[in-house]
Amino acid sequence: MIIDQVLKFELSRLNVHLPERRISLKEALKSAKPQVAARDGSIHAFKREELDLLAKTVPEAEWERLYLPILIALDPKLGRGAARITGGAEVKAISQILEKKGADDELLIYRPEVAIVRRKLPTTTQYLFVPG
Amino acid sequence: MAAAVAVVTPTRMELLKLKQRVSLAQRGHDLLREKMDALVIEFFEILRRIGEARTSALKQLSQAYRALSICSAIMGTIETRQASKEARRELEVEVSTHHVMGIVVPTLEVEKVERSVLDRGYSLYTTSSVLDDASREFEKALGLLVKLAELEESARAIARELEKTKRRVNALEYILIPRLRAALKFIAMRLDEMERENFSRLKRIKAMLEAGA
Amino acid sequence: MSFKVAVIGDVDTTTGFALAGASYVHVHTKKEETLAKLSELLATEGIGLVLITHSIAEELGAEFRRAIRTKKLLPVVLRIPDKTGYMPAVDELYDLIKRTVGAEIVVRAEGG
Repeated sequence: MIIDQVLKFELSRLNVHLPERRISLKEALKSAKPQVAARDGSIHAFKREELDLLAKTVPEAEWERLYLPILIALDPKLGRGAARITGGAEVKAISQILEKKGADDELLIYRPEVAIVRRKLPTTTQYLFVPG
Repeated sequence: MAAAVAVVTPTRMELLKLKQRVSLAQRGHDLLREKMDALVIEFFEILRRIGEARTSALKQLSQAYRALSICSAIMGTIETRQASKEARRELEVEVSTHHVMGIVVPTLEVEKVERSVLDRGYSLYTTSSVLDDASREFEKALGLLVKLAELEESARAIARELEKTKRRVNALEYILIPRLRAALKFIAMRLDEMERENFSRLKRIKAMLEAGA
Repeated sequence: MSFKVAVIGDVDTTTGFALAGASYVHVHTKKEETLAKLSELLATEGIGLVLITHSIAEELGAEFRRAIRTKKLLPVVLRIPDKTGYMPAVDELYDLIKRTVGAEIVVRAEGG
């Protein structure tokens, strides 16, 4: 069935915008052209204002543990509209941005919060689709 | 009766394969719907930023046109046009790309659009300060328009992808999955029937054997 | 990567943007000529942005819309008002929103 093939193709394409390798905030701040290469080879550049904003959300010692882009994981198992952030430094940064408390390695956020995060960090965050 | 997805023989094997297809289609639908929801968020955010960018860019552009009129009135139209030919016209726009979920959008930035009077290149002796004003207003306008161009282009790209994704989600939700489920039900029913037929046949045979014995 | 700016407009528009540093300008007179220039600009490697006025874009009509639909990633094309401030009654972006997300949402957004 054609729809099946289209479905398989679309699903394989879902995460193609994500980079092969992420870079740390520390590395990005030092670079003259902070960017990563996506799976399909295209370049994704980070905006300096966002890097500066992120630098203020976590202590300098953690800059090398905060990987960019920060992934907003969309997993249907979480329910429609819910997203997950993982990683100690990343969770701390996003919690700060949302002005809420978060000290664990994992944070669940909901649609209006996702919108806020994407508005403040459009190039330093990316969606990750969890096929499960 | 609902149309079957394909002609399949009602066997346990087919039942299993069909169950897997339904599961895949359902998972795919849910994921694509997450993508669609995320694209909607992106789309509205970009539209909001376009609203702001348009207002300031268009206001600045009107100012620029006014300054140019004043310049033409004071310096003369021909002289103004002449100056524009002499000006240094090497403005560069830095282009990079952003990736938003399967779409590549260009980013445009101008480093130093506003130049000093000397940098502009036209002769300072034959021109007046109204020319400097007009040039500066247009430089500012150009800076804002570059940003607006990036946003409008991104909005178009996101809209296209959103449209495509929406169509897939709908095709899955309203066509494929219901058909698969109907076929699943049909096969399960047939298998049940066959098993019952088998069972009654065995019972009859048993009764015959017992009667004959 | 660095790219140049091109402008298609009337005399005043092109003069103004030339003063601001635009590298290529085309003063519009005849429709076929301008369409040819547009195709040329869209195919030129080093151009990142093409500014064109709304009134000229409207005059170029269907061929303009097709050129925009079929162009490569670069250059980006932006329509701007000329000195009269003319902008078409139907905002292309508004139309895009309606088509993409549906008329009801547009009404809701406007109504607040």
